[in-house]
Amino acid sequence: MRSNRMGWGLLAPTLIILGIMGLLPFFYVLVVGFFDWNVVSATGKPIWTGANNFRRLVFDPNFLGAMSRTLLFTVTVVVSELVLGFVLAQALVKEFPGKSFFRTIHALPLMVAPIAVGATWRLMTVPGFGIAPYYLDRWFGIDYNIGRYAEHAFATTILMDVWHWTPFVTLTMLAGLSALPKEPMEQALVDGANRWQVLRHLTLPMMMPVIITTTFIRLMDALRVVDEVYLLTGGGPGDSTRFIGIHIWRVVMTWTDYGYGSAVSLLVYYFTLVLCWLLFIALTQIGRQQE
Amino acid sequence: MSRTKSRNILGWIGTYALWISMTLITLLPIYWLFVVSARTRVELFGRPTLLQTSFYIDNYLKPLSTPAFQRYLTNSLIVATSNALLVAVLAVLATYALSRWKLGGSDSIFFWLITNRMAPAAAFILPLYLLFTRAFRLGDVTLYDTRIGLILLYCLFNLPFAIWLMKGMMDGIPIELDEAAFVDGASTWTVLTRIIVPLAGPGIAVTVILSWVFAWNEYLFAASLTSVQARTITTGLAEFVTVTGTNWGEMAAVSFISLLPALIFLAFVQRYIVMGLTFGAVKE
Amino acid sequence: MFRWNRVLGFVIVLSMLLTACAAPAAPAAPAAPAAEEAAAEEAAPAEAESWWAEAGAPYAGVTIRGISESTPPSRYSAEVLGQMFTEATGINVEFEVTSWDEMYNKPIRDMEANTGIYDFVYIEQDHIYSYLSRDFLTDISALLAEHPELQSPDFDFGKFTSFIDNFKQDGGIYGVPMEAFIKPYLYRADLFADPDIQAAFQEQYGYELAPATNHDQYRDIAEFFTAYGEENDLELWGTTVQGHTGHPSATYELVETILPTFGVYNWGINLDTWKACVENGGEMNSDKAKEGFAFWLDMLQYAPPEATSSTWDEVAATFAAGRAAQGWVYGENAAWIATDADRSVVIGNVGVANPPVAEGVIADAESGAGYIGYYDGGAFGIPYSSKNKEAALLWVQFIGQESVQADWAAAGARIVMESTFDDPLIVEIDQKVSGYYTLMREAGPLYRGAAPLPFHNTLRGNIDTFIWQALAGEIDAATALDGACVAAEETMLQLGYGE
Repeated sequence: MRSNRMGWGLLAPTLIILGIMGLLPFFYVLVVGFFDWNVVSATGKPIWTGANNFRRLVFDPNFLGAMSRTLLFTVTVVVSELVLGFVLAQALVKEFPGKSFFRTIHALPLMVAPIAVGATWRLMTVPGFGIAPYYLDRWFGIDYNIGRYAEHAFATTILMDVWHWTPFVTLTMLAGLSALPKEPMEQALVDGANRWQVLRHLTLPMMMPVIITTTFIRLMDALRVVDEVYLLTGGGPGDSTRFIGIHIWRVVMTWTDYGYGSAVSLLVYYFTLVLCWLLFIALTQIGRQQE
Repeated sequence: MSRTKSRNILGWIGTYALWISMTLITLLPIYWLFVVSARTRVELFGRPTLLQTSFYIDNYLKPLSTPAFQRYLTNSLIVATSNALLVAVLAVLATYALSRWKLGGSDSIFFWLITNRMAPAAAFILPLYLLFTRAFRLGDVTLYDTRIGLILLYCLFNLPFAIWLMKGMMDGIPIELDEAAFVDGASTWTVLTRIIVPLAGPGIAVTVILSWVFAWNEYLFAASLTSVQARTITTGLAEFVTVTGTNWGEMAAVSFISLLPALIFLAFVQRYIVMGLTFGAVKE
Repeated sequence: MFRWNRVLGFVIVLSMLLTACAAPAAPAAPAAPAAEEAAAEEAAPAEAESWWAEAGAPYAGVTIRGISESTPPSRYSAEVLGQMFTEATGINVEFEVTSWDEMYNKPIRDMEANTGIYDFVYIEQDHIYSYLSRDFLTDISALLAEHPELQSPDFDFGKFTSFIDNFKQDGGIYGVPMEAFIKPYLYRADLFADPDIQAAFQEQYGYELAPATNHDQYRDIAEFFTAYGEENDLELWGTTVQGHTGHPSATYELVETILPTFGVYNWGINLDTWKACVENGGEMNSDKAKEGFAFWLDMLQYAPPEATSSTWDEVAATFAAGRAAQGWVYGENAAWIATDADRSVVIGNVGVANPPVAEGVIADAESGAGYIGYYDGGAFGIPYSSKNKEAALLWVQFIGQESVQADWAAAGARIVMESTFDDPLIVEIDQKVSGYYTLMREAGPLYRGAAPLPFHNTLRGNIDTFIWQALAGEIDAATALDGACVAAEETMLQLGYGE
């Protein structure tokens, strides 16, 4: 039909840019991951260590702690955002006066830069001049202090992320819902199905492609969260909000341990990939079973 | 009959209660950002209050009148806008190719393109730095501290996103349309500009908007790979944090200013977001 | 269908908005040059001016790039001195002021990769040893000897305070000091002088209320004012604690401000053997260190609630807001806390003294075996990778002239030369800041910079978590230090030290 050369030609600019900006640095990191290289070591030069960095990593409590913390965070925020976003999108499907106003307001947090989100939430939650600790103490007698209590800090990062990214989910879900054909649902309601059954057996399966894409994008971004949390807590108290992105940042920037930092990055990269892949398979399976 | 009516009224109340409370929750942090931006430093450290009666305009005037901040704002606008447009063009070409041709390994290519968004950024700073300062070098001219460097680099996280977004959309456009055009003797270019782009319009708009937002908000790359000339507004925000006192007021003011273009952007094109973000759901 | 004219309309509006944003800029600009001109006239007599023009002639039109932290002294050197230098020599200065993190990350990346982006870099006193161990810096004294034609008649290493010793190695000098401060003890002079408060304190503790000279007094005062604040419904606590549970500044306050006053120096690291634990000859987990850490943690109960979210700047803000009766505050803040009504509610009420110390520490400090607190600061150095070393050499001499020091000190509360203390401008300010500069001049030798650790940041990064966990109450002081010293030794071993 049409020549493959044309197809490759259209694809070429994308492949070239991502090859240079993505693939080249990836190979560099891959190679450095097999070296012992810290700028401030006695020699300061990279020394080949084989798989030592990876061996060290498996038993590194800092890494494992950061990893499990990140997983807990990611699962919590992605699930909450999906559920909340879906409910809100449902509420936005029908017409009501003021709908576009509410929708615009709801999308506002998306527009705030992560670093500004972190600063804003810090301003709200820092004891002394934030409103949150002040009013929580005055109205409910709660001693809320994100610099002191690990649970408070962790919960605050989750709230912050949900605040920041739920609008993204709402928007995508809304787009998906508006594009769905109306007839099958109406028909099912006429046939005596209740709303829950319609949602469960009609809407959700039809929404699967949208749900998968949204989940993936949120998953990838939540796994590498850095800016907001770094500004809010710096990863503290102790290491209770030190997610993997912050851990890598510390290893590479603060410790200037390029070798080990590269190894950690590679593993996280690989882990994200596998996770997305598994999720993809799982979700498509569910989708198929429902059909 | 009256039962349905009362149920309807309850539904209305529920809807409005939900949305009014959502609006309050959403606006609270942004409102607080505004309050902080309106306060003097001395006021900030008094007892926290929700209400603000005075407005300390200096927090806005000072950064706005600094040439550096005007430059940061201009840089951010240029970088975000150019990047969003570039990403949209590339994504249209790429997804059109992936959708219409049976290229060898195109599934793997698609998956690899997307994985570019997964990399944890920090470790990639050093190779990117070397790339920017060493690899691309024409005499004294390098990509380091240039807007063009950032525009190209931001493709790294925006292109995967855009391609994913547009792939479903492309697949959703019936192939019969372009085949009919080809039969009439149209070139690939004509098909793209006359058929595909208009049909994918809403999707392209969404891609542009969200890419623009991601580029506008990026911090780490901009902080590491620019110096004076190409520094962006998010990087400028970090300048307020110093050993001798973080200037929260000015920082909040700049954050607030940097929110405005994005907000206007959003208000203008929000309908297209809804029209465009279908992710191939229509295809069913 | 999709309407492109909508998008076009939007772009137009956006560009109009941008123009509108940029507009108010114009009128504000003239103010700065006027100030510079005044400063320039005062600073540079005609003769000196011609010397700079002559020396700079071969490099006129060259642009030198530098990086520094966005602090008032750096901003002054970037905005005022940079302009003056360009006018005098024709050499352009492109000055990047950035956050504390990036101020360290970017130069080290530049020097490691030998890129040559920066022609001069800010060297914080504690980072110099890392740079020196990798030969990242140019020996400025040697470069001057090589280029006698570039030796300014107004520049002399001998005029600097003892702070310059931090930047010397094997007879070479690698940095020209641009800022220096001590970290003293600040107290609320108004509260300490209040007769009612004095009487109440005397009654409760049996001795007179005065600035603390030892840790027991410090604790008593902290306890007293915390209770006083509670009774009188004031936003007042007994002390500051720089205890952010996720920021390096917490570790710095512990190892550089608190532990030395308990007689634990150099972070408790044995610099001969590169060991930190007691059983290997270190002191990081010694009884004295644990006592000191426990004392500091104990102070948290007398500190305002933001203490565990406070880095260096929030500590200063806390004190300036009148929320603490005493505390350890970085000296660069002392001036604005005491004088700047825009930012501080305690102007005129700030007292300055040496930090409280344990027995024997003063003697240690006087003999040179120890120190009572932190002498902080930084210098401009020239990276070995610079491509405009000669032009940069002129610049570092320019900022090291005696004539530019006083105005700079007034703008940034930093002093690096003996003669600056005698300048009428500084003498006048000194009275307003309750003798901070006098204290710095007289007691300066009792303070010292960070230990000469070539792996400073890496080591600190590896012990941070223990300090933070202790501040958050997850572990106690002893456990934290036992863990920290092991982590420190592991880190040093990994880096090739102490085998």
